[in-house]
Amino acid sequence: MTQELLSNPAVQGGVAPFVVALLVALVLARAQLAGLAVLAAFLTCTYFVAGFQLTPLTALRKVLLVVVAAGLLAVLLDFAFRPTRVGFALVAVGCAAASLWAFGPVIATRPGAEAWRLGAVVAVSVAFMVGFSMRVLASDGVRAGAAALGTGLGVGVAAIIGASASLGLQGISLGAGAGAFLLPQMIRGKKAFAGATLTLPAMLIGALLACAAMVLAELPWHAVLVLAAIPAVAALPLPRSAPAWAQAVLCTLYTLVVAGAACALAWPASQ
Amino acid sequence: MKALAAGMIAVALPFAASAQVEKFALDPFHTVPYFEIDHLGFATIRGRFAKPTGSFSIDWGAKTGTAEIVIPTASVDTGDPDRDGRPRTRDEHLRNPDFFNAAEFPTMTYRATAVKFAGDRPDVIEGNLTLLGVTRPVALKIERWRCGPDPRTQGKRYQCGGNATGAFKRSDFGMKFGLPTAIGDEVNLWMSFYGFRQ
Repeated sequence: MTQELLSNPAVQGGVAPFVVALLVALVLARAQLAGLAVLAAFLTCTYFVAGFQLTPLTALRKVLLVVVAAGLLAVLLDFAFRPTRVGFALVAVGCAAASLWAFGPVIATRPGAEAWRLGAVVAVSVAFMVGFSMRVLASDGVRAGAAALGTGLGVGVAAIIGASASLGLQGISLGAGAGAFLLPQMIRGKKAFAGATLTLPAMLIGALLACAAMVLAELPWHAVLVLAAIPAVAALPLPRSAPAWAQAVLCTLYTLVVAGAACALAWPASQ
Repeated sequence: MKALAAGMIAVALPFAASAQVEKFALDPFHTVPYFEIDHLGFATIRGRFAKPTGSFSIDWGAKTGTAEIVIPTASVDTGDPDRDGRPRTRDEHLRNPDFFNAAEFPTMTYRATAVKFAGDRPDVIEGNLTLLGVTRPVALKIERWRCGPDPRTQGKRYQCGGNATGAFKRSDFGMKFGLPTAIGDEVNLWMSFYGFRQ
């Protein structure tokens, strides 16, 4: 019975990651580490759908390593030293380099022009999503959480359309984790600290999953670029006087419009 | 005179032994690996791979041999080639990271480590299957085996052919999607094979 429950995709990608992430968000909120909820959600789903073994070191296992390393780096960034504008750029470029380390060997097997295009989309989407989110969204827990929620759901559905259910579940788990980060803010009516602790792992997870669905499955490259624009729309104006829950709902709607557009782009490519 | 004869025999022996070793190149059009797996606990689904390459050799004197077969994972075919309004076909799903991850692992390979004979024909091949970058032992039972002139070439070409079966758990190779209830873990293999003597 328990095994059947835990093998249910809705539990693996949604319920279990949400519950774990909510616990992390509530327990670590005082330490300003609630943002780690998204990493906890992703790791919970990964445990169910892929496990944590690292050999052979495939592209998706490299993604797991990069994401965990990013989580540790994010804590350092928030508490050990506050990066400058140049520092944010360096982190973004470092994430792009790490993503090319993960996908480069597979991309290199493609014909010349396609390999260059895939490599460019990977580098640009990862660098933009990480850099922009850390620079612009990290100071606002609602915007950062909504961006992660829209990114997770968008990447998850797009990956399923692109023929990888496990990548889809991992994307949806990111959305579940972001929902768990947003929920206490909406109930309490008070914005939480997001910082690099949320934005770095959340956007890196979203970007790397989208790129994995493009490189290893069949998500079209232009859908990945549209998904990469989600953090940008999370920065659109929100009514300042509105309560936190209303801001969260509105900002999430912004991101879901773009996520929906990306999924629509993924769908016709499959016909 | 006796010494000369003994010397000639000594020189000729290795050639006699090597004459008993025959090498064969796999016929990619008639060598077809099939697999079957439980689907949702209701039915067994079958699929196959196309155009494998490889070779095998038989040492009739020592009653042993070698074998290697390289199978293109992207050729997986379960009889679902058309999308018919769905975003992807089952075969497209099978090529992606949930299963064969063909972009990262374009081939899987089987290499024999020992060939056991029953009488004058090979009976069991012990070897290693490399799938998704993981290598695990898999034994193949030769269920049917025959060698002789190829009737399609009026006997000009010599061939050996037959059928082999085997089984493995896909989770041993890290292919875990759909476990434990949606898609079975145990994979049964059945293959036809032909080799042309070189």
